[in-house]
Amino acid sequence: MISAQGLTKRFGSQTAVDQVNLKFVEGQASGIIGPNGSGKSTLFNMLTGHLPPSVGKIEFGGLDITALPPHERVGMGMARTFQLVSVFDSMTVWENLVLSTGRFADRGSGHRQFFFGPARSKTILENCLGALERVGLQDKAGARTSELSYGDKRMLEIGIALSLKPKLLLLDEPLAGLSDHEIGDVVDLLHEMKQNCTLVIIEHKISKIMDLIERLSVLNDGVLICEGDPEAVLNDPGVRECYWGKQVSNAKG
Amino acid sequence: MALIAVAFLLLTVVMPMHWLTDFAVFCILVLSFDLLYGYMGRLSFGHVLYYGVGMYAASLALVHLAPNPFLAIGAGIFASAVLSSALGFIVVRTEGATFALVNLALNQIGFWLAMSGLQAYTRGEDGLSSSVRAIGFLDFYKVPVAFGFMLVCLLLVFGLLRMLTRSPFGILIRSIKENEERVKFLGYDTLRYKWLTFVIAATLAGFAGTLHALVKGFVAPGDMGPLENARVIFAVLIGGAGNLYGALVGGVVFETMINLLATNIPRWEMFLGIMLLVLVFWFRRGITGYIADLARKFSRSRGKPAERLP
Repeated sequence: MISAQGLTKRFGSQTAVDQVNLKFVEGQASGIIGPNGSGKSTLFNMLTGHLPPSVGKIEFGGLDITALPPHERVGMGMARTFQLVSVFDSMTVWENLVLSTGRFADRGSGHRQFFFGPARSKTILENCLGALERVGLQDKAGARTSELSYGDKRMLEIGIALSLKPKLLLLDEPLAGLSDHEIGDVVDLLHEMKQNCTLVIIEHKISKIMDLIERLSVLNDGVLICEGDPEAVLNDPGVRECYWGKQVSNAKG
Repeated sequence: MALIAVAFLLLTVVMPMHWLTDFAVFCILVLSFDLLYGYMGRLSFGHVLYYGVGMYAASLALVHLAPNPFLAIGAGIFASAVLSSALGFIVVRTEGATFALVNLALNQIGFWLAMSGLQAYTRGEDGLSSSVRAIGFLDFYKVPVAFGFMLVCLLLVFGLLRMLTRSPFGILIRSIKENEERVKFLGYDTLRYKWLTFVIAATLAGFAGTLHALVKGFVAPGDMGPLENARVIFAVLIGGAGNLYGALVGGVVFETMINLLATNIPRWEMFLGIMLLVLVFWFRRGITGYIADLARKFSRSRGKPAERLP
Protein backbone atom coordinates (compact mmCIF):
# COMPACT_ATOMS: atom_id res chain seq x y z
CA MET A 1 0.00 0.00 0.00
CA ILE A 2 2.50 2.61 1.15
CA SER A 3 6.21 2.20 1.56
CA ALA A 4 9.20 4.35 2.45
CA GLN A 5 12.76 3.74 1.37
CA GLY A 6 15.70 5.35 3.08
CA LEU A 7 13.45 8.12 4.37
CA THR A 8 15.46 10.78 6.18
CA LYS A 9 14.56 14.21 7.57
CA ARG A 10 17.16 16.61 8.88
CA PHE A 11 16.44 19.90 10.62
CA GLY A 12 19.75 21.71 10.57
CA SER A 13 22.23 19.41 12.29
CA GLN A 14 19.44 17.37 13.90
CA THR A 15 18.35 14.19 12.18
CA ALA A 16 14.72 13.62 13.15
CA VAL A 17 14.16 10.55 10.98
CA ASP A 18 17.14 8.51 9.83
CA GLN A 19 17.12 6.08 6.90
CA VAL A 20 13.75 4.53 7.67
CA ASN A 21 12.48 1.71 5.47
CA LEU A 22 8.85 0.85 6.08
CA LYS A 23 6.08 -0.96 4.32
CA PHE A 24 2.41 -0.97 5.30
CA VAL A 25 0.41 -3.77 3.74
CA GLU A 26 -3.05 -3.20 2.29
CA GLY A 27 -5.88 -4.20 4.61
CA GLN A 28 -3.68 -4.40 7.69
CA ALA A 29 -3.67 -2.16 10.70
CA SER A 30 -0.23 -1.14 11.91
CA GLY A 31 0.96 0.65 15.00
CA ILE A 32 3.97 2.90 15.47
CA ILE A 33 5.39 3.54 18.92
CA GLY A 34 8.47 5.24 20.25
CA PRO A 35 9.51 7.65 23.00
CA ASN A 36 8.68 11.35 22.65
CA GLY A 37 10.80 13.03 20.02
CA SER A 38 11.66 9.78 18.28
CA GLY A 39 10.42 11.05 14.92
CA LYS A 40 6.96 9.46 14.67
CA SER A 41 5.09 12.60 13.73
CA THR A 42 7.88 13.72 11.40
CA LEU A 43 7.56 10.37 9.65
CA PHE A 44 3.80 10.94 9.29
CA ASN A 45 4.37 14.46 8.04
CA MET A 46 6.61 13.12 5.29
CA LEU A 47 4.25 10.31 4.34
CA THR A 48 1.34 12.75 4.01
CA GLY A 49 3.27 15.48 2.22
CA HIS A 50 3.30 18.00 5.05
CA LEU A 51 7.13 18.01 5.06
CA PRO A 52 9.45 17.15 2.17
CA PRO A 53 11.98 14.43 3.05
CA SER A 54 15.67 15.34 2.98
CA VAL A 55 16.49 12.01 1.39
CA GLY A 56 14.45 8.98 0.44
CA LYS A 57 11.50 7.84 -1.54
CA ILE A 58 7.82 7.25 -0.75
CA GLU A 59 5.61 4.99 -2.83
CA PHE A 60 1.84 4.80 -2.58
CA GLY A 61 -0.12 2.21 -4.51
CA GLY A 62 2.93 1.51 -6.67
CA LEU A 63 3.49 5.18 -7.62
CA ASP A 64 6.32 7.42 -6.49
CA ILE A 65 4.64 10.19 -4.51
CA THR A 66 7.73 11.71 -2.84
CA ALA A 67 7.22 15.07 -4.51
CA LEU A 68 3.40 15.19 -4.57
CA PRO A 69 1.66 17.93 -2.56
CA PRO A 70 -0.73 16.87 0.23
CA HIS A 71 -3.95 17.57 -1.66
CA GLU A 72 -2.96 15.21 -4.46
CA ARG A 73 -2.17 12.47 -1.97
CA VAL A 74 -5.63 12.97 -0.50
CA GLY A 75 -7.02 12.60 -4.01
CA MET A 76 -5.22 9.26 -4.29
CA GLY A 77 -6.93 7.99 -1.15
CA MET A 78 -4.78 9.07 1.77
CA ALA A 79 -6.20 10.80 4.83
CA ARG A 80 -4.79 11.72 8.21
CA THR A 81 -5.61 13.08 11.64
CA PHE A 82 -3.33 15.27 13.72
CA GLN A 83 -1.65 14.81 17.08
CA LEU A 84 -3.42 17.90 18.38
CA VAL A 85 -6.98 17.74 17.10
CA SER A 86 -7.33 19.94 14.05
CA VAL A 87 -10.86 21.00 13.15
CA PHE A 88 -12.34 24.36 12.17
CA ASP A 89 -13.41 26.01 15.40
CA SER A 90 -14.95 29.09 13.81
CA MET A 91 -17.60 27.04 12.03
CA THR A 92 -20.50 24.87 12.98
CA VAL A 93 -19.98 21.12 13.22
CA TRP A 94 -21.73 20.29 9.96
CA GLU A 95 -19.83 22.98 8.07
CA ASN A 96 -16.63 21.15 8.98
CA LEU A 97 -17.78 18.29 6.78
CA VAL A 98 -18.91 20.20 3.70
CA LEU A 99 -15.51 20.20 2.00
CA SER A 100 -14.62 16.58 2.71
CA THR A 101 -17.99 15.01 1.91
CA GLY A 102 -18.50 17.07 -1.22
CA ARG A 103 -15.48 15.95 -3.23
CA PHE A 104 -15.72 19.32 -4.95
CA ALA A 105 -12.09 19.11 -5.92
CA ASP A 106 -13.19 16.87 -8.79
CA ARG A 107 -13.53 18.86 -11.95
CA GLY A 108 -16.75 18.84 -13.92
CA SER A 109 -20.40 19.15 -13.06
CA GLY A 110 -19.75 19.78 -9.37
CA HIS A 111 -18.24 23.16 -10.14
CA ARG A 112 -21.43 25.16 -10.34
CA GLN A 113 -22.70 23.68 -7.14
CA PHE A 114 -19.32 24.38 -5.53
CA PHE A 115 -19.20 28.08 -6.35
CA PHE A 116 -22.83 29.13 -6.57
CA GLY A 117 -24.96 26.49 -4.89
CA PRO A 118 -25.84 27.06 -1.23
CA ALA A 119 -23.77 24.99 1.20
CA ARG A 120 -27.00 24.47 3.12
CA SER A 121 -28.56 22.49 0.28
CA LYS A 122 -30.43 19.29 1.04
CA THR A 123 -27.88 16.92 -0.52
CA ILE A 124 -24.89 18.53 1.19
CA LEU A 125 -26.65 18.57 4.57
CA GLU A 126 -27.62 14.93 4.17
CA ASN A 127 -24.04 13.98 3.34
CA CYS A 128 -22.73 15.89 6.33
CA LEU A 129 -25.30 14.40 8.69
CA GLY A 130 -24.50 10.93 7.34
CA ALA A 131 -20.82 11.44 8.06
CA LEU A 132 -21.63 12.76 11.53
CA GLU A 133 -23.82 9.77 12.26
CA ARG A 134 -20.86 7.44 11.72
CA VAL A 135 -19.02 9.13 14.56
CA GLY A 136 -22.09 9.67 16.73
CA LEU A 137 -22.23 13.46 16.46
CA GLN A 138 -25.46 13.87 14.48
CA ASP A 139 -27.19 15.55 17.43
CA LYS A 140 -24.50 18.23 17.58
CA ALA A 141 -24.52 19.05 13.86
CA GLY A 142 -25.69 22.64 14.39
CA ALA A 143 -23.45 23.41 17.37
CA ARG A 144 -20.40 25.65 17.18
CA THR A 145 -17.31 23.50 16.91
CA SER A 146 -15.50 25.60 19.50
CA GLU A 147 -18.07 24.45 22.07
CA LEU A 148 -17.41 20.72 21.58
CA SER A 149 -15.47 18.67 24.15
CA TYR A 150 -11.99 17.49 23.17
CA GLY A 151 -13.29 13.96 22.69
CA ASP A 152 -16.09 15.14 20.40
CA LYS A 153 -13.60 17.18 18.41
CA ARG A 154 -11.46 14.07 17.99
CA MET A 155 -14.51 12.18 16.77
CA LEU A 156 -15.31 15.03 14.38
CA GLU A 157 -11.75 14.97 13.06
CA ILE A 158 -11.98 11.23 12.43
CA GLY A 159 -15.36 11.81 10.79
CA ILE A 160 -13.77 14.35 8.44
CA ALA A 161 -11.00 11.90 7.55
CA LEU A 162 -13.51 9.09 6.96
CA SER A 163 -15.70 11.22 4.75
CA LEU A 164 -12.73 11.53 2.37
CA LYS A 165 -13.29 7.78 1.76
CA PRO A 166 -9.61 6.97 2.25
CA LYS A 167 -7.88 3.74 1.30
CA LEU A 168 -5.17 4.59 3.80
CA LEU A 169 -5.76 6.44 7.04
CA LEU A 170 -2.91 7.68 9.21
CA LEU A 171 -3.86 8.55 12.77
CA ASP A 172 -1.44 10.49 14.97
CA GLU A 173 -2.17 9.61 18.61
CA PRO A 174 -5.94 9.36 18.22
CA LEU A 175 -6.41 8.41 21.89
CA ALA A 176 -4.30 11.15 23.47
CA GLY A 177 -6.19 13.39 25.85
CA LEU A 178 -9.39 11.33 25.83
CA SER A 179 -11.27 9.86 28.81
CA ASP A 180 -11.50 6.06 29.16
CA HIS A 181 -15.05 6.17 27.93
CA GLU A 182 -14.10 8.18 24.85
CA ILE A 183 -11.14 5.88 24.20
CA GLY A 184 -13.59 2.97 24.03
CA ASP A 185 -15.66 4.81 21.42
CA VAL A 186 -12.67 5.64 19.27
CA VAL A 187 -11.27 2.10 19.46
CA ASP A 188 -14.66 0.65 18.45
CA LEU A 189 -14.69 3.02 15.52
CA LEU A 190 -11.16 2.01 14.53
CA HIS A 191 -12.23 -1.65 14.49
CA GLU A 192 -15.11 -0.76 12.21
CA MET A 193 -12.91 1.33 9.91
CA LYS A 194 -10.42 -1.49 9.56
CA GLN A 195 -12.95 -3.41 7.46
CA ASN A 196 -12.38 -1.25 4.40
CA CYS A 197 -9.32 0.82 5.06
CA THR A 198 -5.63 0.35 5.77
CA LEU A 199 -4.76 1.94 9.11
CA VAL A 200 -1.49 3.27 10.47
CA ILE A 201 -1.70 4.45 14.05
CA ILE A 202 0.83 6.30 16.19
CA GLU A 203 -0.14 5.63 19.78
CA HIS A 204 1.44 5.59 23.20
CA LYS A 205 -1.47 3.73 24.77
CA ILE A 206 -0.45 0.59 22.94
CA SER A 207 -2.46 -1.77 25.17
CA LYS A 208 -5.68 -0.19 23.90
CA ILE A 209 -4.96 -1.10 20.30
CA MET A 210 -3.21 -4.48 20.67
CA ASP A 211 -6.38 -6.26 19.51
CA LEU A 212 -6.54 -4.05 16.46
CA ILE A 213 -3.09 -4.09 14.96
CA GLU A 214 -1.34 -6.85 13.07
CA ARG A 215 2.00 -5.17 12.98
CA LEU A 216 4.03 -2.86 15.18
CA SER A 217 7.03 -0.67 14.41
CA VAL A 218 9.23 1.03 16.97
CA LEU A 219 11.14 4.24 16.36
CA ASN A 220 13.88 5.51 18.63
CA ASP A 221 15.96 8.60 17.90
CA GLY A 222 14.67 8.60 14.36
CA VAL A 223 15.79 5.04 13.71
CA LEU A 224 13.47 2.11 13.13
CA ILE A 225 14.73 -0.31 15.78
CA CYS A 226 12.24 -3.12 15.51
CA GLU A 227 9.14 -4.23 13.65
CA GLY A 228 6.90 -7.23 13.24
CA ASP A 229 4.25 -9.06 15.24
CA PRO A 230 3.11 -6.72 18.03
CA GLU A 231 3.56 -9.23 20.89
CA ALA A 232 7.01 -10.19 19.71
CA VAL A 233 8.04 -6.56 19.25
CA LEU A 234 6.97 -5.60 22.76
CA ASN A 235 9.08 -8.47 24.16
CA ASP A 236 12.11 -7.56 22.10
CA PRO A 237 15.06 -6.77 24.39
CA GLY A 238 16.07 -3.72 22.34
CA VAL A 239 12.57 -2.25 22.60
CA ARG A 240 12.36 -2.99 26.31
CA GLU A 241 15.66 -1.26 26.84
CA CYS A 242 14.62 1.82 24.88
CA TYR A 243 11.54 2.16 27.08
CA TRP A 244 12.44 0.69 30.47
CA GLY A 245 16.17 1.26 30.25
CA LYS A 246 15.68 4.94 29.78
CA GLN A 247 13.21 5.14 32.61
CA VAL A 248 15.70 3.50 34.96
CA SER A 249 18.43 5.93 34.03
CA ASN A 250 15.97 8.83 34.33
CA ALA A 251 15.02 7.67 37.80
CA LYS A 252 18.66 7.62 38.80
CA GLY A 253 19.31 11.03 37.31
CA MET B 1 -31.31 42.69 -1.25
CA ALA B 2 -34.57 44.59 -1.20
CA LEU B 3 -33.56 45.76 2.24
CA ILE B 4 -30.38 47.32 0.89
CA ALA B 5 -32.26 49.10 -1.90
CA VAL B 6 -34.82 50.43 0.56
CA ALA B 7 -32.10 51.55 2.97
CA PHE B 8 -30.29 53.47 0.24
CA LEU B 9 -33.52 55.04 -0.98
CA LEU B 10 -34.44 56.09 2.55
CA LEU B 11 -31.00 57.64 3.00
CA THR B 12 -31.73 59.97 0.08
CA VAL B 13 -34.16 61.73 2.41
CA VAL B 14 -31.37 62.77 4.80
CA MET B 15 -28.39 63.06 2.44
CA PRO B 16 -27.72 64.53 -0.96
CA MET B 17 -28.25 61.92 -3.64
CA HIS B 18 -24.83 62.40 -5.24
CA TRP B 19 -23.24 61.42 -1.91
CA LEU B 20 -25.11 58.14 -2.03
CA THR B 21 -24.00 57.53 -5.60
CA ASP B 22 -20.41 57.77 -4.37
CA PHE B 23 -21.24 55.60 -1.35
CA ALA B 24 -22.61 52.86 -3.57
CA VAL B 25 -19.39 52.81 -5.61
CA PHE B 26 -17.29 52.82 -2.44
CA CYS B 27 -19.40 50.00 -0.99
CA ILE B 28 -18.57 47.82 -4.01
CA LEU B 29 -14.88 48.41 -3.35
CA VAL B 30 -15.34 47.60 0.35
CA LEU B 31 -17.32 44.44 -0.47
CA SER B 32 -14.55 43.24 -2.77
CA PHE B 33 -11.99 43.85 -0.04
CA ASP B 34 -14.14 42.01 2.48
CA LEU B 35 -14.03 38.86 0.34
CA LEU B 36 -10.25 38.93 0.45
CA TYR B 37 -9.75 40.07 4.03
CA GLY B 38 -12.92 39.27 5.95
CA TYR B 39 -13.60 35.89 4.39
CA MET B 40 -10.20 34.58 3.34
CA GLY B 41 -8.18 36.38 6.00
CA ARG B 42 -5.68 37.98 3.64
CA LEU B 43 -5.05 41.62 4.53
CA SER B 44 -3.88 43.62 1.54
CA PHE B 45 -2.46 47.15 1.72
CA GLY B 46 -2.69 47.45 -2.04
CA HIS B 47 -6.25 46.63 -2.99
CA VAL B 48 -6.98 50.03 -4.57
CA LEU B 49 -4.34 49.30 -7.23
CA TYR B 50 -7.02 47.33 -9.06
CA TYR B 51 -9.58 50.06 -8.41
CA GLY B 52 -7.15 52.42 -10.12
CA VAL B 53 -6.52 50.06 -13.02
CA GLY B 54 -10.26 49.74 -13.65
CA MET B 55 -10.65 53.48 -13.32
CA TYR B 56 -7.89 54.36 -15.81
CA ALA B 57 -8.83 51.60 -18.26
CA ALA B 58 -12.41 52.87 -18.29
CA SER B 59 -11.36 56.50 -18.74
CA LEU B 60 -8.92 55.65 -21.52
CA ALA B 61 -11.58 53.62 -23.30
CA LEU B 62 -13.98 56.57 -23.03
CA VAL B 63 -11.39 59.01 -24.36
CA HIS B 64 -9.76 56.96 -27.09
CA LEU B 65 -12.31 54.37 -28.21
CA ALA B 66 -15.87 55.56 -27.73
CA PRO B 67 -17.85 57.42 -25.04
CA ASN B 68 -19.91 54.31 -24.36
CA PRO B 69 -20.37 53.43 -20.65
CA PHE B 70 -20.64 49.68 -21.22
CA LEU B 71 -17.46 49.65 -23.26
CA ALA B 72 -15.74 51.49 -20.41
CA ILE B 73 -17.03 48.98 -17.86
CA GLY B 74 -15.88 46.11 -20.04
CA ALA B 75 -12.43 47.64 -20.46
CA GLY B 76 -12.04 48.29 -16.74
CA ILE B 77 -13.11 44.79 -15.73
CA PHE B 78 -10.88 43.22 -18.39
CA ALA B 79 -7.82 45.24 -17.39
CA SER B 80 -8.14 44.58 -13.67
CA ALA B 81 -8.88 40.89 -14.25
CA VAL B 82 -5.85 40.43 -16.49
CA LEU B 83 -3.47 42.32 -14.21
CA SER B 84 -4.67 40.59 -11.03
CA SER B 85 -4.50 37.17 -12.71
CA ALA B 86 -0.84 37.77 -13.51
CA LEU B 87 0.19 39.44 -10.23
CA GLY B 88 -1.97 36.99 -8.27
CA PHE B 89 0.46 34.19 -9.06
CA ILE B 90 3.11 36.08 -7.12
CA VAL B 91 1.15 37.57 -4.25
CA VAL B 92 -0.87 34.53 -3.15
CA ARG B 93 2.39 32.69 -2.48
CA THR B 94 3.05 35.10 0.36
CA GLU B 95 1.40 35.22 3.78
CA GLY B 96 0.65 37.65 6.58
CA ALA B 97 2.72 40.83 6.67
CA THR B 98 4.53 39.89 3.46
CA PHE B 99 1.23 39.61 1.62
CA ALA B 100 0.14 43.02 2.88
CA LEU B 101 3.43 44.66 1.97
CA VAL B 102 3.92 43.01 -1.43
CA ASN B 103 0.50 44.37 -2.36
CA LEU B 104 1.46 47.77 -1.00
CA ALA B 105 4.63 47.71 -3.09
CA LEU B 106 2.68 46.85 -6.24
CA ASN B 107 0.19 49.60 -5.42
CA GLN B 108 3.07 52.04 -5.04
CA ILE B 109 4.44 51.03 -8.46
CA GLY B 110 1.00 51.46 -10.03
CA PHE B 111 0.65 54.86 -8.40
CA TRP B 112 4.03 55.93 -9.77
CA LEU B 113 3.10 54.71 -13.25
CA ALA B 114 -0.10 56.77 -13.15
CA MET B 115 1.77 59.74 -11.75
CA SER B 116 4.78 59.84 -14.07
CA GLY B 117 5.74 56.53 -15.72
CA LEU B 118 2.75 56.48 -18.03
CA GLN B 119 2.13 60.21 -17.95
CA ALA B 120 1.68 60.28 -21.72
CA TYR B 121 -1.53 58.31 -21.27
CA THR B 122 -2.72 59.24 -17.77
CA ARG B 123 -1.73 62.94 -17.90
CA GLY B 124 -0.08 62.42 -14.51
CA GLU B 125 -1.11 64.69 -11.69
CA ASP B 126 -3.36 66.76 -13.94
CA GLY B 127 -5.76 63.84 -14.18
CA LEU B 128 -7.74 62.54 -17.06
CA SER B 129 -11.18 63.85 -18.03
CA SER B 130 -13.66 61.82 -19.98
CA SER B 131 -17.24 62.16 -21.05
CA VAL B 132 -19.96 59.57 -21.48
CA ARG B 133 -22.65 59.67 -24.09
CA ALA B 134 -26.16 58.95 -22.88
CA ILE B 135 -27.74 55.73 -24.07
CA GLY B 136 -31.49 56.12 -24.07
CA PHE B 137 -32.56 57.11 -20.55
CA LEU B 138 -29.14 56.11 -19.19
CA ASP B 139 -27.57 59.53 -18.81
CA PHE B 140 -24.84 59.62 -16.16
CA TYR B 141 -25.04 63.42 -15.90
CA LYS B 142 -28.51 63.11 -14.37
CA VAL B 143 -28.00 62.50 -10.68
CA PRO B 144 -30.99 60.17 -10.09
CA VAL B 145 -30.00 58.06 -13.10
CA ALA B 146 -26.41 57.75 -11.95
CA PHE B 147 -27.61 56.92 -8.44
CA GLY B 148 -30.02 54.27 -9.71
CA PHE B 149 -27.37 52.71 -11.92
CA MET B 150 -24.78 52.51 -9.14
CA LEU B 151 -27.36 51.08 -6.77
CA VAL B 152 -28.22 48.34 -9.26
CA CYS B 153 -24.50 47.59 -9.70
CA LEU B 154 -24.08 47.42 -5.93
CA LEU B 155 -26.98 45.00 -5.64
CA LEU B 156 -25.54 42.81 -8.42
CA VAL B 157 -22.14 42.64 -6.73
CA PHE B 158 -23.74 41.99 -3.37
CA GLY B 159 -25.86 39.20 -4.86
CA LEU B 160 -22.84 37.60 -6.52
CA LEU B 161 -20.78 37.74 -3.33
CA ARG B 162 -23.65 36.44 -1.24
CA MET B 163 -23.91 33.42 -3.53
CA LEU B 164 -20.16 32.84 -3.44
CA THR B 165 -19.83 33.17 0.31
CA ARG B 166 -22.78 30.94 1.13
CA SER B 167 -21.60 28.17 -1.18
CA PRO B 168 -19.11 25.41 -0.36
CA PHE B 169 -16.53 27.74 -1.91
CA GLY B 170 -17.37 30.22 0.84
CA ILE B 171 -16.72 27.55 3.44
CA LEU B 172 -13.44 26.77 1.68
CA ILE B 173 -12.11 30.32 1.86
CA ARG B 174 -13.23 30.66 5.50
CA SER B 175 -11.38 27.41 6.16
CA ILE B 176 -8.27 28.83 4.50
CA LYS B 177 -8.55 31.83 6.80
CA GLU B 178 -8.64 29.62 9.87
CA ASN B 179 -6.04 26.99 8.92
CA GLU B 180 -4.72 26.78 5.40
CA GLU B 181 -2.44 23.79 6.03
CA ARG B 182 -5.40 21.78 7.27
CA VAL B 183 -7.40 22.52 4.12
CA LYS B 184 -4.72 20.87 1.99
CA PHE B 185 -5.38 17.64 3.87
CA LEU B 186 -9.01 17.81 2.80
CA GLY B 187 -7.77 17.43 -0.76
CA TYR B 188 -7.89 21.05 -1.95
CA ASP B 189 -5.15 22.92 -3.76
CA THR B 190 -5.32 26.01 -1.59
CA LEU B 191 -3.00 28.04 -3.81
CA ARG B 192 -5.45 27.74 -6.69
CA TYR B 193 -8.38 28.94 -4.61
CA LYS B 194 -6.42 31.75 -3.02
CA TRP B 195 -5.48 32.93 -6.49
CA LEU B 196 -9.06 32.71 -7.68
CA THR B 197 -10.37 34.64 -4.68
CA PHE B 198 -7.70 37.28 -5.17
CA VAL B 199 -8.67 37.68 -8.83
CA ILE B 200 -12.40 37.91 -8.02
CA ALA B 201 -11.77 40.53 -5.33
CA ALA B 202 -9.42 42.55 -7.54
CA THR B 203 -11.76 42.42 -10.53
CA LEU B 204 -14.69 43.65 -8.45
CA ALA B 205 -12.47 46.45 -7.18
CA GLY B 206 -11.70 47.24 -10.82
CA PHE B 207 -15.44 47.29 -11.51
CA ALA B 208 -15.88 49.84 -8.73
CA GLY B 209 -13.09 51.86 -10.34
CA THR B 210 -14.88 51.93 -13.69
CA LEU B 211 -18.03 53.20 -11.99
CA HIS B 212 -16.00 55.90 -10.29
CA ALA B 213 -14.66 57.00 -13.69
CA LEU B 214 -18.16 57.00 -15.19
CA VAL B 215 -19.82 58.98 -12.45
CA LYS B 216 -17.00 61.51 -11.88
CA GLY B 217 -15.87 61.95 -15.48
CA PHE B 218 -12.42 62.68 -14.06
CA VAL B 219 -9.73 60.43 -12.60
CA ALA B 220 -6.40 61.28 -10.98
CA PRO B 221 -3.57 59.25 -9.43
CA GLY B 222 -4.70 60.28 -5.94
CA ASP B 223 -7.80 58.11 -6.35
CA MET B 224 -5.57 55.03 -6.36
CA GLY B 225 -2.88 56.24 -3.99
CA PRO B 226 -1.59 53.74 -1.42
CA LEU B 227 -3.18 55.80 1.37
CA GLU B 228 -6.63 55.15 -0.09
CA ASN B 229 -6.32 51.57 1.19
CA ALA B 230 -6.70 52.89 4.71
CA ARG B 231 -10.22 54.07 3.86
CA VAL B 232 -11.22 50.63 2.66
CA ILE B 233 -9.68 48.83 5.63
CA PHE B 234 -11.31 51.33 7.98
CA ALA B 235 -14.72 50.83 6.43
CA VAL B 236 -14.49 47.02 6.72
CA LEU B 237 -13.37 47.25 10.34
CA ILE B 238 -16.16 49.67 11.25
CA GLY B 239 -18.85 47.50 9.68
CA GLY B 240 -17.41 44.15 10.75
CA ALA B 241 -15.11 41.98 8.65
CA GLY B 242 -16.32 38.72 7.18
CA ASN B 243 -19.90 39.90 6.81
CA LEU B 244 -21.27 41.36 3.59
CA TYR B 245 -23.79 43.53 5.42
CA GLY B 246 -20.93 44.72 7.57
CA ALA B 247 -19.09 45.92 4.48
CA LEU B 248 -22.16 47.91 3.43
CA VAL B 249 -22.76 49.41 6.86
CA GLY B 250 -19.07 50.20 7.20
CA GLY B 251 -18.88 51.79 3.76
CA VAL B 252 -21.88 54.03 4.38
CA VAL B 253 -20.99 54.98 7.96
CA PHE B 254 -17.38 55.69 7.11
CA GLU B 255 -18.16 57.85 4.08
CA THR B 256 -20.85 59.74 5.97
CA MET B 257 -18.42 60.46 8.76
CA ILE B 258 -15.74 61.63 6.37
CA ASN B 259 -18.15 63.92 4.56
CA LEU B 260 -19.51 65.43 7.75
CA LEU B 261 -16.16 65.71 9.53
CA ALA B 262 -14.42 67.24 6.57
CA THR B 263 -17.04 69.95 6.13
CA ASN B 264 -17.20 70.87 9.82
CA ILE B 265 -13.78 70.30 11.31
CA PRO B 266 -10.38 71.21 9.91
CA ARG B 267 -7.81 68.40 10.33
CA TRP B 268 -10.46 65.84 10.94
CA GLU B 269 -8.10 62.88 10.46
CA MET B 270 -7.38 62.73 14.18
CA PHE B 271 -10.95 61.64 14.84
CA LEU B 272 -10.46 58.69 12.53
CA GLY B 273 -7.45 57.65 14.57
CA ILE B 274 -9.44 57.83 17.79
CA MET B 275 -12.24 55.88 16.17
CA LEU B 276 -9.81 53.15 15.10
CA LEU B 277 -8.52 52.85 18.66
CA VAL B 278 -12.07 52.49 19.97
CA LEU B 279 -12.78 49.80 17.37
CA VAL B 280 -9.62 47.85 18.10
CA PHE B 281 -10.10 47.89 21.87
CA TRP B 282 -13.84 47.55 22.27
CA PHE B 283 -15.53 46.61 19.03
CA ARG B 284 -13.25 44.10 17.39
CA ARG B 285 -16.06 42.70 15.27
CA GLY B 286 -17.38 46.04 14.09
CA ILE B 287 -20.96 47.26 14.11
CA THR B 288 -22.56 44.14 12.65
CA GLY B 289 -20.41 41.87 14.83
CA TYR B 290 -21.51 43.81 17.90
CA ILE B 291 -25.16 43.47 16.93
CA ALA B 292 -24.74 39.75 16.22
CA ASP B 293 -23.14 39.23 19.64
CA LEU B 294 -25.98 41.09 21.31
CA ALA B 295 -28.53 39.00 19.43
CA ARG B 296 -26.79 35.79 20.44
CA LYS B 297 -26.69 36.82 24.09
CA PHE B 298 -30.36 37.66 23.90
CA SER B 299 -31.37 34.37 22.25
CA ARG B 300 -29.23 32.35 24.64
CA SER B 301 -30.82 33.96 27.66
CA ARG B 302 -34.12 32.79 26.21
CA GLY B 303 -32.73 29.29 25.75
CA LYS B 304 -32.69 29.10 21.97
CA PRO B 305 -30.18 26.77 20.28
CA ALA B 306 -27.32 28.43 18.44
CA GLU B 307 -28.37 27.12 15.06
CA ARG B 308 -31.19 24.95 13.86
CA LEU B 309 -30.90 22.58 10.98
CA PRO B 310 -33.83 21.74 8.74
